[in-house]
Amino acid sequence: MNENKPENILSVKNISKNFPGVKALDGVSIDVQRGTVHGIVGENGAGKSTLMKILSGVYTRNSGSITFDSEDIKSTTPHKSMSMGLSIIYQELNIVSTMTVGENIFLGRFKEVGGMRGTHAKAKELLDSIGSTINTTTMVGDLSVSEKQMVEIAKALSFDSKLIIMDEPSSSLTDDEMKDLVKIIHQLKKQGISIIYISHKLDEIFDFCDIVTVMRDGKVIDTKPIGEITRSEMITKMVGRSIENEFPERPRNVGETLMEVRSINTKKLKNVSFELKKGEILGLVGLVGAGRTEIVRAIFGADRTFGHEIVIDGKVVKIKAPSDAKRAGISLVPEDRKLEGLILPFTVESNISLASLDKLTSKMGFLNKSKEKTMAEKHIKSLGIKTPSTKTRVESLSGGNQQKCVVGRWMELEPRILIMDEPTRGIDVGAKYEIYLLMKEIVKNGGSVILISSELPEVLNMSNRVLTICDGRITGEFDPEKSSTHEIMEKAFEFIDKGTKS
Amino acid sequence: MSDLILSQKSNIRESILDFSKEYIVLFAIAILSIVTGIVEPKFLSVANMTNIMRQFGPLIMVCLGMTFVIIGGFIDLSVSGTIPLVVVITHSMIEPFGMVPALITGMIVGAICGFINSLLILFSGATTQAEALFITYGTMVVYGGLALLYTGGVTHYMTYMEADYSLFTVIGSGTVGVFSVTFLIFLVVVTALYIFQSKTYLGRTINLIGGNKTAARLSGVSIKKGIISMFTINGFMAGLSGIILFSRVTQASPTLGRGYETQAILAVVVGGTSLLGGKGSVIRTVIGTLLVILLGNCMNMLGVDVFMQNMMRGAILVIAIWLDAKRQH
Amino acid sequence: MTNLTKGKMILNTMTKQKAVTAVLAMFIFMIFFPTNFFSSYNLLDLLNSASIYIVLAFGITIVIIGGGIDLSIGGTLSLGGIIAIMCMNAGMPIWLAIVCAVLVGAVIGIINGYLVVYQKCAPFIITLGMGLVLTGFAQQITDAHPISPKNSEFMMIGNGYIFGVIPNLIIVMLVVFVIVHFIFRYTQFGRNIYAIGGDYEVAKHSGISVRKIQTATYVLCGAAAAFAGVLLSSTLNTGSAIYGDRIPLIVISAVVVGGTSLAGGVGGAPLAMIGYLVFGVMENSMNMLGINPYAQEVIRGVVVVTILFLDSYGRKRKRETV
Repeated sequence: MNENKPENILSVKNISKNFPGVKALDGVSIDVQRGTVHGIVGENGAGKSTLMKILSGVYTRNSGSITFDSEDIKSTTPHKSMSMGLSIIYQELNIVSTMTVGENIFLGRFKEVGGMRGTHAKAKELLDSIGSTINTTTMVGDLSVSEKQMVEIAKALSFDSKLIIMDEPSSSLTDDEMKDLVKIIHQLKKQGISIIYISHKLDEIFDFCDIVTVMRDGKVIDTKPIGEITRSEMITKMVGRSIENEFPERPRNVGETLMEVRSINTKKLKNVSFELKKGEILGLVGLVGAGRTEIVRAIFGADRTFGHEIVIDGKVVKIKAPSDAKRAGISLVPEDRKLEGLILPFTVESNISLASLDKLTSKMGFLNKSKEKTMAEKHIKSLGIKTPSTKTRVESLSGGNQQKCVVGRWMELEPRILIMDEPTRGIDVGAKYEIYLLMKEIVKNGGSVILISSELPEVLNMSNRVLTICDGRITGEFDPEKSSTHEIMEKAFEFIDKGTKS
Repeated sequence: MSDLILSQKSNIRESILDFSKEYIVLFAIAILSIVTGIVEPKFLSVANMTNIMRQFGPLIMVCLGMTFVIIGGFIDLSVSGTIPLVVVITHSMIEPFGMVPALITGMIVGAICGFINSLLILFSGATTQAEALFITYGTMVVYGGLALLYTGGVTHYMTYMEADYSLFTVIGSGTVGVFSVTFLIFLVVVTALYIFQSKTYLGRTINLIGGNKTAARLSGVSIKKGIISMFTINGFMAGLSGIILFSRVTQASPTLGRGYETQAILAVVVGGTSLLGGKGSVIRTVIGTLLVILLGNCMNMLGVDVFMQNMMRGAILVIAIWLDAKRQH
Repeated sequence: MTNLTKGKMILNTMTKQKAVTAVLAMFIFMIFFPTNFFSSYNLLDLLNSASIYIVLAFGITIVIIGGGIDLSIGGTLSLGGIIAIMCMNAGMPIWLAIVCAVLVGAVIGIINGYLVVYQKCAPFIITLGMGLVLTGFAQQITDAHPISPKNSEFMMIGNGYIFGVIPNLIIVMLVVFVIVHFIFRYTQFGRNIYAIGGDYEVAKHSGISVRKIQTATYVLCGAAAAFAGVLLSSTLNTGSAIYGDRIPLIVISAVVVGGTSLAGGVGGAPLAMIGYLVFGVMENSMNMLGINPYAQEVIRGVVVVTILFLDSYGRKRKRETV
């Protein structure tokens, strides 16, 4: 069914995309009309960026059809997409910092526009057309984020783009810069260019989008003109779901304050302070990039942060490096197990013993290898790690079992405070449940857990208390049993304006 | 075992590549030796075998030391500067202080050279092999230059000394039964290093740093200790190599040891230790060095001239690295 | 202005200025000593002997800006001179012999490029190995004896003067400078090299044929190294396999001093020239001051270590401010 609706610049039908173990997109269909600003919202992992990467040619789809400007697109590359008139401006800006503005706009095409002179002349034209006064001979690395975006927009225009996708453009902009961006968006719209605008800042969506699509779990939940949906309805559609996963009964053993975190201040985090009580599971909820991982890394001493204080059992503890944190009884299961958690070509044994080597070392400096094996076997048993032997290379295990190895490593230290950053990402249901049980065990014995998870049901069902983090600040504190998901997520979207609103 | 996610195909393919890489080296030695033995029977003579054993001297020490740096994910070019420095300093200490203090000083000098390298790498925040390469190249020039400066470019001959230097003669040409003293030193050293590498905490640390520095750091492993260990050991081994070399040639020349670093890298890579770090062992290096020595010996027996030999060594290095790269992708 | 790029820019400018200030500082320093340093003879001689290696520096700069590195240039250097001489001795006219030598350099570059770009071998190690092969090959074909050209005109290239006053070498170097500078500044190809070194993925997504161009950088470097080898052999009227011994790392350090980053995407012909001049002036002034040649080695080594230390340190600071 190929309806050629000329008023749709882009028609996406039934797109599906699978990654090993995960269905990122499931039958997504969206129509973008010409000359509109089409917003797309959804929480972490909803599938927005996967969809955009398929449109721009970075990923290939598994099924479905894409029609752009009345042409059926079978496959594409980033370069082909741009030449067709479909441009995308990523959050991580696709620029070469060491080259000038003009060169970045016409990267690889200098001959077509008449050499260096032509490049700078045409670049100036394009920038003028969007009201930008940037000098085309400036090194892009010297520009502000807002100016870099202008360069990218000019680049999109240089390809005669009919559709520009903007992926979270406003996260690093000031209020005034945002106003400029909105002006340009309206201008582009008037020129008949369509814009797909992805953002977590719902105010913006309501401000200048014409239509909005809500995605969740890889599916499109609804597409509505902006006037026909309220903010509340939008959030409900973004987070509401039937709870298919089972969770163990919430532990209720919360006691006195165990740890106090005072004033973490970094480039991203603004004066973060909170308490952690004995026997509690504290959930950190927020959008990607809100700063949750930064907070726990600061506590663990993984990053060079200064000026904050960690108080445990009433005493100030100096944590400058992970070894200090270990000594203080804090363990961290990191976010990216492949890059930060595991040494993939090494054995299960050596991955589990990684944090406990001093325990296995005799006074003379010798490692007790049989103790190492016993240690590994202990955790293999208690965590149910499926592996042919302790000497199997960890890279051949499934994601769930790999994660269990990392967890086992830290369980060996019998931590008082276990921090888990996205512990169940990419692992099967059975293994997930086992990790939940483990969390319960820890708090039952008087320890505490800090849980970061982008899976709302998980964090809301396991935590005794939830902190919402937005844009580097703690914006709220909730009891998940008493507050609604909606209330909590509102706070996760609460971006505080940096200036005064006129 | 449905939880084991690994397609059978890639497992087998990887095993074959691993197998061929591992045993290709042994195969090559075997075939080369057989061919040489047939073509030139002198190859199999006791004299030649002794000759081969003798070569397990200065070069192998450097190779063993280099193994640790490469396992740790770095590289060290400065050994050909450390060796002459150790040699000239040791020599100058014999007359005023005696053989044994001179020997000890020499070893310490080697270790210090390595230690300085480690400090430079730590404080500059160099994380890649390339950065380490350039910094240790610089220290190679400095150490070698210091050696030249120290002696004013003059080569001193031990035989003209009045002091007692018999210790060095023993090291250089002494024998215990059928074995040369050097070979015995080699056996002791290789055993010690093997134990260090596989059974000690520090040895494991070096391995982990080469495997995944980030994961190691986040687990509280001391990256500092690891880097200092690997380079200091390498420096120490370079010192040992220098002492043995000095004892053999009985002259303290400020240009000794040139080219050792590339031969060492060759031996380590050919032996199967991956340049990317995290994998490898001193035993593999011994095998690799054996191949390099045998290669040289066979080529000599077969009458291949020196320059063709250099070319062959370079070509084998290129091929070995190429195979290594292919394995990783 | 983000801190990330600000820091890089400052460090880049500092390194750039460092080279110029270092040269100026040395000049000023030499004022206080009664030597022939400032004689036109000496300064011309300085530039003259530096010219060969500056040509080499141009070549390696191309590869480094493109994000790669080539340690085989020492071998290519000696081979270039040897091939040229052998061709001449076999009866070829000088110009043809030179062309052959440069072609050989280009072929070496193709092999390097193939191994690095298409086979994904680690560039510095594989080119190190190639350097060994080439040096061994050079020794092989010359039997480790230096070889002399039968054609007496050959040495005029390296030792002759234009208009009787300006040495040929300087002119040749300037010509190469103009060509390389032009390529970098004004051609699509040159700008693409910067793009690839600056951000490989972005360049690829923009439709630039990254692999072809990166390989081309190795080809150009090989050709330049061979050509420099021809010049060197002409100057010494001898072709020898030992010429390239310590050269690669000296030249690369010089290029880094001048402001070209080992990370790629930054640098240029003038920077390469200034960078090498730091070393050239340093050597010349140390000679003039009668400093022990061995002490010179040590000083040179210390300078290299310091420069590369700061280069890495700059990257470390950048990482931590992010």
